[in-house]
Amino acid sequence: MEDNFEPKIIGFLCNWCTYAGADLAGTSRIQYPPSIVPIRVMCSSRVDPLFVLTAFLRGADAVLVAGCHPGDCHYQDGNYYTRRRFACLKKIFDSLGLESDRIRLSWISASEGPRFAKVITEYTETTKKLGPNSTKKEIFL
Amino acid sequence: MSKVLKINKSAEDGVRELLKFLLESGKVKEVFTLKKINSNNVVSYSLITRAEMIKDAVPLFPLMPANAGKLLSSLTLKNPLSEPIAVVVKPCELRAFVELVKIKQGSLENFLFISSTCPGVYPLDMEVNGDLSKKLLEYWDTVKKGKIIPDIRPTCNGCEHFLPYTADMVVSLIGKNTDKECEIFLTTNKGEKFAEGIGKLVEGELETQEIESLRNERKIEKKKLFDEIKIEKFGLSGLIETFGKCIGCHGCSHICPICYCILCTFESCTHELEPSAYESEIEKKGGMRIPPNTVFYHIGRLAHIGISCVGCGMCTDVCPVNIPISTIFLKVSEEVQDVFNYIPGKNIEEEIPLVKYDKEELTEVED
Amino acid sequence: MKGTKLKVTKSVEKTIVNFLEKGLDKKCFDIVLIPLKVPAGDSFAWVLVQDKSLLADANPLPPVMTVQGAKALSSVARKGKMSKRIAVVMRPCEIRAVIELSKSNQIDLENILLISIDCPGALPLKNYIENPKESENKFNEILRSAQNDKGTQNDIQWGNESTRPICQVCDKFTGTDIGACQSDLHIGILGVKDGNISLIPNSKKGEDILNEMSFPVEKLSNNWENKVKELVKVRKEKREKLQEELKPQIVGLDNLLETFSTCINCQNCQNVCPVCYCRQCYFESEKMKLTSDDYLMRAESKGGLVFPPDALLFHIGRMTHMSLSCIGCGACEDACPMSIKVAQIFSFVGDKSQEVFNYTPGKSIEDALPLKVFEEDEFHTVET
Repeated sequence: MEDNFEPKIIGFLCNWCTYAGADLAGTSRIQYPPSIVPIRVMCSSRVDPLFVLTAFLRGADAVLVAGCHPGDCHYQDGNYYTRRRFACLKKIFDSLGLESDRIRLSWISASEGPRFAKVITEYTETTKKLGPNSTKKEIFL
Repeated sequence: MSKVLKINKSAEDGVRELLKFLLESGKVKEVFTLKKINSNNVVSYSLITRAEMIKDAVPLFPLMPANAGKLLSSLTLKNPLSEPIAVVVKPCELRAFVELVKIKQGSLENFLFISSTCPGVYPLDMEVNGDLSKKLLEYWDTVKKGKIIPDIRPTCNGCEHFLPYTADMVVSLIGKNTDKECEIFLTTNKGEKFAEGIGKLVEGELETQEIESLRNERKIEKKKLFDEIKIEKFGLSGLIETFGKCIGCHGCSHICPICYCILCTFESCTHELEPSAYESEIEKKGGMRIPPNTVFYHIGRLAHIGISCVGCGMCTDVCPVNIPISTIFLKVSEEVQDVFNYIPGKNIEEEIPLVKYDKEELTEVED
Repeated sequence: MKGTKLKVTKSVEKTIVNFLEKGLDKKCFDIVLIPLKVPAGDSFAWVLVQDKSLLADANPLPPVMTVQGAKALSSVARKGKMSKRIAVVMRPCEIRAVIELSKSNQIDLENILLISIDCPGALPLKNYIENPKESENKFNEILRSAQNDKGTQNDIQWGNESTRPICQVCDKFTGTDIGACQSDLHIGILGVKDGNISLIPNSKKGEDILNEMSFPVEKLSNNWENKVKELVKVRKEKREKLQEELKPQIVGLDNLLETFSTCINCQNCQNVCPVCYCRQCYFESEKMKLTSDDYLMRAESKGGLVFPPDALLFHIGRMTHMSLSCIGCGACEDACPMSIKVAQIFSFVGDKSQEVFNYTPGKSIEDALPLKVFEEDEFHTVET
């Protein structure tokens, strides 16, 4: 069963860059694994760390936060804040012995369809190696 | 070097004399300090207007019935003080208040902050059991020796920030002859101005050998405390074991000085699920703990307030099921704060790291 | 009293769990809400169980009340009915809180089967947490004493001094009308001399379930009823006595102030209270945030002001909001970090205020909340 484990990755994608990048990957017919479940947010800085936690604790195998490259934020500097918050959350994961490889921050612009496909493919592979998230079966959370 | 006010009385009497002077001279309108509030010697924070009531004040009492930072925030949430108030608080309470002011939950205006080199406080349990009064002799004896006091809060045991950062006056306690002598260091111009006219001042150094050695001792204690719990080895199963007995009272968040939200997101409708959501969850797992979100709540709270946690220990004290929350929070928060080299409440000028950024930083977390 | 008898195998708890397993097997209900031991083994948590194998860790009568059951159920059924049928196994005070919450639209009772059990009391949470293992043994002894009963008064240790003070004086520890508790099915474990416990249907739903599970409903011997009534009588006397003792501590402003002087305003009592269902308590809301001038003025007029102020306003205010529905479960006292006798005080006041309206919370879903209804011609004594 573990062999054909298909991970589910929840992706919080910013409206202006990464979501458009995902669109581009699609319209360009670039193949990538169907593991990503995209959730569109107006800016990566809209993502409260609790969103990532919710996805993680409700059984997502991995969580991706993705937005415009630093300097390119539609709202000037939203993604710089995202990066700080993400660093915090990652540290919390590490300090509590949780698998912080299951959460990831990537910058993918609207023109980077191929990069979107690459990130998803890569992330799906690394997540596969981690195996299913054990929160899936845990009833006492 | 700073100016020192020396009063030939016990530390507590000295502080009371100072408070009385401040009130009588009209330099402050009110005093905010711990006070015995009834015949049973129950101690609570109080505002005091009349100088004659200062006799019941116990400014240095080793108990924290509430984090004063939270109280000062509720006092000045809507508007700053219009007249000066002298407050006697512990260093971590002052740090909490400074953090709260940074997030616009209060104002520093018109406060005269009096703090002390803090020996630590006892857990609330000790007050409940009635054992605290029996401990006081030992407490002050150990303070004189500059050692760690037995049975104080675990987070006090490992606290390195026991020298107040932003107080105007600091009562020097650790390693001092506190029954005979009261040394109040005037660490800011404001402090000096308010002390004018009370008596002769000398020069002195607040940082002493005793303080340095206690700091080292506490660092070792802190490491021991963290090593015992092995938080970094928790993982999901460790978290479930530790927080499994949580009864969801959210007392830790209600008492937390930094948790300032009027309505916590975990108590809001955001986290209320439709019955169908429960059903699908149960379908997947065969069962589900309710109310849900026990582990989520604690990690989520860490994610929200970790950057500002001052490690005061209130949360552990109010936990009805003895979860060592403050130890866990202190450890994780320090790791987070270290990322930004930030000490919460140390400096009002320094913004909270999450509301600012550097363009070139933290490249290790992005790709 | 009509009902069905169930032979005790191994233990009362196991017998009840077996009954639930059978119900799941026969699809009389799809999910069971019951306390399970947590993985660390040091407490209990409410779990919605669909997978029967999870019931191995279930304990229908845990030694402590961690989360008040009604509060747990309300988190699931507040927003509407479940499409699956849930059997809920709780202490009578928890069921009574469920009834109260359903009156305030905080629990949709459709598809929910309420099962109550005779309650031996619960141990104080603090004592249990300090030593779970020893507490469990102690509790077991109390629970088992019902079976060792030979008829002398000391045989039954239910509600003895190691249980919570509020449990010691609880006169509604049982189901049916005797306990003023409107569960659908009540499990009687007192007075089981013949090694049987009794399942007593208390509503149409309860009768239907027994039919579905093909249990015969027959006339039961009077053992249970007699024993329960006897204990109720004892408890009523104890309750009166405790309230007399409590009076000097809480009657009069000075005494009240003294009693609540150690309150640190953490509001744990309100947060764990099953009938305090407001998402945001008035006392935590914007309305209670005053300007600094307000505080200072109050301090000046008296020479001083305890901070935070208004501890009494909070507690008495909470009483005015919930005392008519207070079912005296004791959750507040368990959660108080300062060991204030919150539950004893609140149930004392609750008894008095409920008496005014001749209202017993949790007794019947038909009894409207007294403050939701009125008669034109009443209470002339309070008007001038």
